[in-house]
Amino acid sequence: MRQLNLGDIEFLLLAARWTILLSLYAAIGGGIVGLAIALMRTSTKATLRWIAIVYIRIFQGTPLLLQLFLVFFGGDMIGVPLGPWVSAVLGFSLNAGAFLGEIWRGAIQAVPRGQIEAAKALGLHFVPRMLRVVLPQALRVAIPPTVGFVVNLIKSTSLAAIIGFVEVTRAGQMLNNATFRPFVIFGVVSAIYFVLCYPLTVASRRLERRLALATKR
Amino acid sequence: MKRLFQILAAAVLLAGLSVLRPAEAQTIDEILSRGTINIGVLVDLPPYGILNAQQEPDGYDIEVAKLLGGYLGVKVNLVPLTSPNRIPFLLTNKVDLIVATFGITPERAKQVMFSIPYSAIENVVFAGKDKKIAGIQDLKGLRVGVPRGTVQDVILSKTLGSAVKLARFDDDPSTYQALLTGQVDAIAETGLTGDKFYDSHPEGGIERKFTLLQQPNGITMRKDQFNLHQWVNTFVYFTKNNGELNALYEKWFQKPLPNLPVF
Repeated sequence: MRQLNLGDIEFLLLAARWTILLSLYAAIGGGIVGLAIALMRTSTKATLRWIAIVYIRIFQGTPLLLQLFLVFFGGDMIGVPLGPWVSAVLGFSLNAGAFLGEIWRGAIQAVPRGQIEAAKALGLHFVPRMLRVVLPQALRVAIPPTVGFVVNLIKSTSLAAIIGFVEVTRAGQMLNNATFRPFVIFGVVSAIYFVLCYPLTVASRRLERRLALATKR
Repeated sequence: MKRLFQILAAAVLLAGLSVLRPAEAQTIDEILSRGTINIGVLVDLPPYGILNAQQEPDGYDIEVAKLLGGYLGVKVNLVPLTSPNRIPFLLTNKVDLIVATFGITPERAKQVMFSIPYSAIENVVFAGKDKKIAGIQDLKGLRVGVPRGTVQDVILSKTLGSAVKLARFDDDPSTYQALLTGQVDAIAETGLTGDKFYDSHPEGGIERKFTLLQQPNGITMRKDQFNLHQWVNTFVYFTKNNGELNALYEKWFQKPLPNLPVF
């Protein structure tokens, strides 16, 4: 057992880099996958809808920890070693994609049917119809649950410890095992997560208010 | 959409073809010619592996790993692992061997290959001074804390079955803490660390009760690394005889290396 020192706190703060980077990549990757899944899920073609449904069921129905484990170690088993970064980004993106896809599907379907019919009547094809009519209206509905999910995603990056990442939570565990000062260490760890998550919630509320203003009559 | 799928499929195929498997260091010669050895260690089991005041891996296991690299004449690349992921890392060639306080058991030897023992861990039952506990049978009916999946977890559940209420914790600090705060009646834990922890918290009135077992640990390799295994055994044998292992053990445990049976 040794004393806790200032370098340890610095070590925790530096470990937050990995938490931030992992969250960022996961959110971007998950956003791309999620958009594709949401569009497939609301498609008029039954095949696409079913592919999206099966995808969502698989990734929502199995633990994220196992998905990360399978991507990281499974790659080696079949002779395609992916390395920790690719595995983590892939694992988190595939998982986040399933949840974001489902959230955004709800948002798209919340846009009144008449809007889509009107767009069709005006002769708008799929892409302009989505970009100009449906998605801007869906966005407003989607913001609160999306931000809620991303905040959760930030906290679940701690699962990357299983594939060797020393992010904030794992760094805290390692220090606690050396110093036995759980209250100080996990207090700092919690504060770091709070600093990362709170601004998102605030920004989400601001954005919501601005978008609500735009459609106010 | 169809086009997108074709592009995706092509990308996956390309990735599969372009990333060839790295050379698997199965033999001494391969490690020597590569010039580095990847050694998996624990950094959350004091004093075997910890983060020191400079937040670098340190401890008995880490010094043994560095000594091993020194004798091999290659650069040591330490890979910090956790108890749940140390076997997957080894089996998927992400590390060449692990020096991670891994107890030698026939069950584990079905998956991996152990060197002759290079250290031992003493498992001790701790409890409050007011409790009369002299042997394993006295734990009946008590709430006993153990770190999940450890040797002591297995021993207690096998010997006592449902007669003991086991509380399984995620790591060692939580286990020590649980006894101090009275959430459990006793714990089975690493002797030396427990002594230090409870000495620094005399208000808890906690003492050693009895030694559950003395578990010899081996350096761990994949089952097909016979060539490396032979060298590692030679290394352990040599450093045990010339006193180097003992010196490291004295440094971290303040007592001589216990008598370690070989196989």
